[in-house]
Amino acid sequence: MSNPIIALLGNPNVGKTSVFNRITKLNQHVGNYPGITVEKREGTVKANGKTYSIIDLPGTYTLFPTSLDEDIVYQILGNKENKSHPDLVVVVSEPNNLKRSIILYQQARELGVPALFVINMIDEAKGKGLEIDYQKLEQYLNTKVYTTDARNGHGIHQLIEAFDERPGYYSSKFTIDSRFVPALEEAKKLFPLQTEYQTWQYLAQEDVSFLSADQRLALKNIRSTHGFTANDLQRWESISRNKQIDKEIDAIAVRKENLHLTKTNKIDKLLLHPVMGYIVFFAILLIIFQLVFILATPIMDWIDESFASLVDLVAGILPEGPISNLITQGVLSGIGGIVIFVPQIAILFILISLMEETGYMSRVVFLMDRWLRPYGLNGKSVIPLMSGIGCAVPAIMSARNIENTKERLITMLVTPFMTCSARLPIYVVLISLVIPNETFLGFGIQGLTLALLYVLGVVAALASAWILSKIVKTKHRSFLIFELPSYKAPDWRNVVTNVWDKTSGFLFGAGKIILSMAIVLWVLGSFGPNDKFYNPEKYILEANPTIGEDHLAEEVASYKLEHSFLGYIGMGIEPIVEPLGYDWKMGIGLVSSFAAREVFVATMATVYSLGEDVDIEDDAQKETLLTKMKSEINRNTGLPAYNLASGVSLLLFYAFAMQCMSTIAIMKRETGSWKWTLIQTGMMTGLAYIVAFLAYQFLK
Amino acid sequence: MQKSFSLDTLTIGECARISEVNATELPSKFLEMGLLPGCLVEIKHKAPFNGPIGLHIHTSNTLIAIRKSEAYHILVEKNSL
Repeated sequence: MSNPIIALLGNPNVGKTSVFNRITKLNQHVGNYPGITVEKREGTVKANGKTYSIIDLPGTYTLFPTSLDEDIVYQILGNKENKSHPDLVVVVSEPNNLKRSIILYQQARELGVPALFVINMIDEAKGKGLEIDYQKLEQYLNTKVYTTDARNGHGIHQLIEAFDERPGYYSSKFTIDSRFVPALEEAKKLFPLQTEYQTWQYLAQEDVSFLSADQRLALKNIRSTHGFTANDLQRWESISRNKQIDKEIDAIAVRKENLHLTKTNKIDKLLLHPVMGYIVFFAILLIIFQLVFILATPIMDWIDESFASLVDLVAGILPEGPISNLITQGVLSGIGGIVIFVPQIAILFILISLMEETGYMSRVVFLMDRWLRPYGLNGKSVIPLMSGIGCAVPAIMSARNIENTKERLITMLVTPFMTCSARLPIYVVLISLVIPNETFLGFGIQGLTLALLYVLGVVAALASAWILSKIVKTKHRSFLIFELPSYKAPDWRNVVTNVWDKTSGFLFGAGKIILSMAIVLWVLGSFGPNDKFYNPEKYILEANPTIGEDHLAEEVASYKLEHSFLGYIGMGIEPIVEPLGYDWKMGIGLVSSFAAREVFVATMATVYSLGEDVDIEDDAQKETLLTKMKSEINRNTGLPAYNLASGVSLLLFYAFAMQCMSTIAIMKRETGSWKWTLIQTGMMTGLAYIVAFLAYQFLK
Repeated sequence: MQKSFSLDTLTIGECARISEVNATELPSKFLEMGLLPGCLVEIKHKAPFNGPIGLHIHTSNTLIAIRKSEAYHILVEKNSL
């Protein structure tokens, strides 16, 4: 027998996730609902001699969906065939929104799902000015009512013990208005086996995804022959339910002044102030990114060094050969390249979940919506976009907080345009190569160029968001209504589980893809199709018999790269990159830096026989690389390989192109589809190609 | 006499009672979140340059934010307090 399924249903901001965390402790995992990107939080708890599966449904105000999240809730509760259809629903409410929670509870019961009612944050009832008569409430709801305080675990035990309760028959308090009855009777004939309310729900929704196309069409025809829209039915239900509860709730709960709201109001006077609000917000942003960089850098350096010494250690133990190379340079370096992101992701998400937990995130949306809306984005897009200046990987993950599917998708699609920290070393090298070190109006032109590239990233992100918002279709119309919840101290359990979910999701989800791509690139760079790759010394000495020992080693590395598969690919794509002003050596740089942009500098160093370990922060080594690159001649044009035209073209290419497999991997994971991932890669690299082409042709 | 205004014309601190929520322009979610005809609302916050509006719904004691373009479709009566 399969485990009984218990689903937690409730409005956002009622502490439903805290209840979930308390019930399941750490026996939980986060996945996606099949085929879509809505997070599915599932867990188990052993009690009463059995194991229960607990599902934390996305927060919703109603069973009528206006977003993908809410759609999931209706699919699970409304469709008995759904794999997650619960045996019992626990409706979680909090003292301040009893009324809305009761409506949700009634809807669930009338669909035919048994339900318990929980009032969470019960410790706040007094402060929020509420006195509840529990006996009357139980009578009214015809179920057991439990009170919990998930922050300290009060009442959770009693709730778990009640998981076998199945409340008795529920008589609906919802009577359908006479003007809708003929239509409903017609619809009932289509679904003879369903409850009346279920049929009403079918009739009151535009698109019930689990019904057949014929059934949906039939429902649509009923609506149009009777002359009303799905929205009419929903509005009527909402108004009539509210009227009814307004009449009855006074006997159940007495309400006085809400002290929490008074306190919240005082804080909001500052945080939502038309001037001060923005100053505080930008100060917080600044602190966030400083913390992400300052705290993460030493940990990242440490990870980098540890992996380097681990690679050395393993290389020392294993016998030399391709297997040893595969493990050290392919697998271990690949894993190192994944783990290196963990500190940034974890720190960013600690700070973001703190903003969520305290209720400040809704204020960010309030402040920023006006500025991002014209580009088809949402106030919440500001966090991913700004985080993109550090690294697109955690930034794309932070877009999860955007409820609107379309706005979330667009945010993720444009975030990699922001100038991430991996572009910086390339910019520094290329700018010092091709941009004259002169001043313009007192500003260094090189510095100006760098600043311009950052601005370009922002412009590209916003402009492409604007275009995408015109193209991407959405089932749910765009509107914005959200609650500004009372401020509260964060629940640290939620912060910890949230950070762990995000970090482990990255490590194990995106990590797989990054690792396999790293191995493929390593294979391409470590094997060649012919003898020139395997016996480089012979060929170098033949061509240049007087070469010294020192130079021989460097020449070997460069010669091997040239005759590896990667090298041949670089030469193979030369016709494609030639119109952009690049030669095959830069082609190799482009291909290998597909792994990550920062690889470009290391590859260029190898190509120009300097050995791999060029430290771009070491001035002497940087100078050597720069001199070498400056004297390089493009054999196609006979001009210096890095002149103004090709340099600007290369800068622009890196500004726009999707040269980062970690970003690709995280997009695949977050969107759940290769379609959008490939569209994004195509869009960015295509744009990069066109812009670089135009720049080169114009400047040459 | 009662006069109808659209909600977006009110200034911070003003209270009004909702008389109508335009059915064709706004989804039922607005009603479900508490913007119901008959509810007493107070403008608490306005983001600058026609940004969102923060409303305190007295009836349900919650703070809700909506865009100005949506507030335009909600009619209120001022002197029926």
